[in-house]
Amino acid sequence: MKKKLLSALLCVAMSATLFAGCGNGGTPANNDANEPSSSAGADAGDSADDAGAGTDDSASGGKTYAMVTKSAGNPYNEKEAEGFKEVIEANGGTAIIQHPEAATADAQVSVIQSLISQGVDSISVAANDANALQAALEEAMAAGIKVSAVDSATNAASRMTFANQAGTKEIGQTLMDAVYDISGGSGQWAIVSATSQATNQNAWIDAMKEIMESDSKYADLELVSIEYGDDVPEKSTTVTQALLTNYPDLKVICAPTTVGIAAAAKVLQDQGSSCKLTGLGLPSEMAAYIGDGDSFSCPYMFLWNPIDVGRLSAYISLALVNGDINGATGDTFEAGDMGSYTVVDAADGGTEVILGPPFKFDPSNINEWKDIY
Amino acid sequence: MAGKSGRTISATPENVWKKQIFSWEGILVVIFLAVIVLCKLLSPNYTFVNVLREMPKYLTEIFLLFPMAYILMLGEIDISVGSIVCLSATAGCLISNAGVPFGAAAVLTLLVGAACGAVNGLILVKFPELPSMIITLGTQIVFRGIAEIVLGSGGSVSPTNMDGYRMIAGKIGPFPYIFFLVIISAVIFAVVSAKMKYGRSLYAIGSNRRTAFYSGIRVNKVIFIAYTLMGLFAGIAGLFLTSATYAANTTTGKGFEMDAIAMAVFGGIATTGGKGRMVGGVISAFIIICLRIGLGQINMNSQLILVIIGILLICAVLLPNITGSLRLKKRD
Repeated sequence: MKKKLLSALLCVAMSATLFAGCGNGGTPANNDANEPSSSAGADAGDSADDAGAGTDDSASGGKTYAMVTKSAGNPYNEKEAEGFKEVIEANGGTAIIQHPEAATADAQVSVIQSLISQGVDSISVAANDANALQAALEEAMAAGIKVSAVDSATNAASRMTFANQAGTKEIGQTLMDAVYDISGGSGQWAIVSATSQATNQNAWIDAMKEIMESDSKYADLELVSIEYGDDVPEKSTTVTQALLTNYPDLKVICAPTTVGIAAAAKVLQDQGSSCKLTGLGLPSEMAAYIGDGDSFSCPYMFLWNPIDVGRLSAYISLALVNGDINGATGDTFEAGDMGSYTVVDAADGGTEVILGPPFKFDPSNINEWKDIY
Repeated sequence: MAGKSGRTISATPENVWKKQIFSWEGILVVIFLAVIVLCKLLSPNYTFVNVLREMPKYLTEIFLLFPMAYILMLGEIDISVGSIVCLSATAGCLISNAGVPFGAAAVLTLLVGAACGAVNGLILVKFPELPSMIITLGTQIVFRGIAEIVLGSGGSVSPTNMDGYRMIAGKIGPFPYIFFLVIISAVIFAVVSAKMKYGRSLYAIGSNRRTAFYSGIRVNKVIFIAYTLMGLFAGIAGLFLTSATYAANTTTGKGFEMDAIAMAVFGGIATTGGKGRMVGGVISAFIIICLRIGLGQINMNSQLILVIIGILLICAVLLPNITGSLRLKKRD
């Protein structure tokens, strides 16, 4: 029995130290936060928040701009982060690039919470789920942090604006035209997507479906299946193989995801399949598969420049933190050598900034692009 | 432990002191303090307020630890809990979106969780020859599969009326409600496992199921209750996770089962059954949470954080084995 009593005492002692230790450390930090907030800027109106403890660091040594990617090892996200970092550092800020431990919204919540504690000035997030970051991002905005989405949008309530790589409709139209062109105008085709809840993927797929149904030009095309490779190479390979087995007459696979298209390209090319591929892919990963003739699996594909997406997101963060824009429709800002951009209404009720139309990679230009990204 | 009067009572109490300090729980307390000091040194933002503010999402996993510890004490395992969290959170959002008031929706969320747990328990009790690992692996796929079918290609649902969820995510001062709930549950689970008949029968079954059965312990009932509790608490975790994210999706709760098992094993609760104490599990849970928050605040690569926790876990399993064998040698 004494053993139990002692363990209970130890627990009490432990929690007491926790409270005392943190309390001592916490108090001066809070005091510090109050001091510079008077000099640091009148714009930090709501810095007297729970999370205000960390703002003193950023106020003294330049502003801190954070970007949260979808997952580690996503080459597309990494290029975006590169562009983001370059612009932020060129403008005298500190860039924090954080990858969640898994490609889930749950993991991103932890990262965002940590960034709130650090008192960063802005957060750009590529959302793994449109809705599931709302609680964390609302908290961030309440703490005075400027929140914007990049690449894959959060819902309208959890962001100030969104750096959209290309308008959803433009992408849907471009991909639909590519499928039409490669298939010769008729036959079966399928989609290999990322995860079933990836916001951008679903928006593009919906746009493609809408375009296909609205124009009789596409009447002879039959979308037989939408598969989800979860942006995991192994799973994308498996679903592509299953598609070929289940639909021997399949003419075109459209993979609007960089991981999916690379996996599908390898499967199709290795098997010498007559089925062709298009979609959105990284030139460096796809160079071996893009070419004319039957020995190549992909005649051409599209992408925008992810480095530019990251740079646009950085300029948005800078403009938000400087107070040049607040994410309302009609706001305009300068994005360095990329020119001037305007905030426009997004389909989900929020606002967005559109980078431009997707860029076509074909056998004529793939070799010059493959070394770039 | 000499009394205030100066009399030395006997040698035994001193022995208890030593035993306590060198017990696994004692070591855990030291590790916990070391983690706090380390994080404090590493991050200027590691303040009491910030740590508590970041905690709610992590605390949802502790709800899974409590019944998971019971199941491990039984010598069984349940790897379907992450999926139960997902299914109950999804059900909760959908029920609340159907216009059911929040209170009722919350209760139904817990019931969905408890029902899933009861399914696990029922299968295990009816087919005792089947390993729990395999059964719960199956239900893990089934439960998440149901959620995926219900959620469809959109893959995500958020409650249209979030007032209730915002309410349970509320705070008293810097303390989120969930913190109190975790502490109260921890005390109840610890007392039940240490003092009550049900708790002691967990250890008895975990040590030797046949002996326990012939001693008159209703083994099936104990197992069924443990798994149903597991489901119920997965439902609670699902409810609070929804309040920390405002949505449920197909990846909600993914990997939670392994986190809960890791917390328990790190706390000295052996997967072979019959060993360990709830106190250890709770301390180790806070060690892992505080470490994650601290290392997260210095923007350490999140994969590296997982590696560190993995190494800690291996050490935690090795250490008692090494010291245990040393002690045995001494006795010989």
